[in-house]
Amino acid sequence: MNLYIQAASQISIQEPLCEDWFEHPIFYEERYQRAIDPDFKMYIPPMVARRMGKLLKRALVTSSNVVENSATQKIDAIITGSGLGCIENTEKFLQAMVQEGEDFLQPTFFMQSTHNTISSQIALHLKCHGYNSTYSHRGTSFESGLLDAFQQISLQRIDNALVGGHDEMTPDYFTLLDQIGYWKKGAINSETLRNSDSDGSFSGETSVSFMIENRKKEFSLCEIKAVDLLYKPSIERMQTAVDDLLKNHHLTLQDIDSVFVGISGDVQNDTIYRTMKNKIFQNRPLCWYKHLFGESFSASGLGMYAAAICLQKNCIPEHLFYHPQKPMNGINNILVYNHFQNKDHSLILLSSC
Amino acid sequence: MEELILELKKEIIEVLNLEDVKPEDIDSDSPLFGDGLGLDSIDALELIVLMEKNYGIKLNNAAEGREIFKSVRVMAEYIQKNRKK
Repeated sequence: MNLYIQAASQISIQEPLCEDWFEHPIFYEERYQRAIDPDFKMYIPPMVARRMGKLLKRALVTSSNVVENSATQKIDAIITGSGLGCIENTEKFLQAMVQEGEDFLQPTFFMQSTHNTISSQIALHLKCHGYNSTYSHRGTSFESGLLDAFQQISLQRIDNALVGGHDEMTPDYFTLLDQIGYWKKGAINSETLRNSDSDGSFSGETSVSFMIENRKKEFSLCEIKAVDLLYKPSIERMQTAVDDLLKNHHLTLQDIDSVFVGISGDVQNDTIYRTMKNKIFQNRPLCWYKHLFGESFSASGLGMYAAAICLQKNCIPEHLFYHPQKPMNGINNILVYNHFQNKDHSLILLSSC
Repeated sequence: MEELILELKKEIIEVLNLEDVKPEDIDSDSPLFGDGLGLDSIDALELIVLMEKNYGIKLNNAAEGREIFKSVRVMAEYIQKNRKK
């Protein structure tokens, strides 16, 4: 069974709902960035949007965008990955509990404070009564949702799935993560984070949606050949997983044009990628994307998005290469590799179609 | 009374997050639910919380709410008679 990405859409710290980042990336000097939001009134009626936090609006807009762009008539499944869920509403609800002594709690914040609010609101908005699921596995939430869709389509239970990764970063949550060393101290330069030898990264926000389907269309971005998740793998286990994945698709490592990794400027995080590069992905060009999109629990979704756009355009731009080199044209296969705290590791193999 | 009506309109706009609606856009005598502002049952819950939090009025009877939330003016009159804050 072949799976294709029919459409992809993002709202992040790059220009929203477009691929401007491909030629005109925005780089940052502040360690805390909120997403660049489109004018939501153009997409969601005000009376519908009034109860929604920013994350819900972003998820609805990117979801509607891919459904429209892929000309999908019937959505079989909506699957979302979110590390924090609607944390903005959760905070409002909890703050009200503290301030009001657990009285006078507003129902809207409570209703929309859960992780699965996103999938359910998308379903209500798109009038989809099919399979609806949410994965909240911190840094591999997106891949967990993608794996669900991949397996269900492969088993022919469904024909298509709307898969998304959505995470916001509120000022309070940013401060909490700052206290445990998630972020760099002081000003940063996102463009040169690759040279960093200190802990922490810079914060971004993610809302990315994909329409995945079992048949190729003339506008399909690329094919998803494999999705694999591993928990605390040794180097040997990772080597076996990569070997098996390539073998199953009659590929060798030399057929992989680039490996997209979640290098973020955090020396502890990046050391794992460098080790994998030296031991498993030798001689394969590394690309990174978190200098464009920042760090968030669903950032790996933007990694897959960036790789899919590169395959569609048949080009990897210069600014994505970890080791500076000229743009690469004529690409066929990209391996997206992500890890979260060296516990959860994921591999996504994308190919041109 | 007009002062309380204005205050109530501002509070309703804030608590229900009625973007782009100004106090002068809300007719004091128009129905809050169905036609008029077009509020729904979740908004009714929000208004009950507003009444208790801002004016100390606790509504226990749902049927009572149906009468009180007829319009902003009816709501303001009820608040004026029963407010504890």
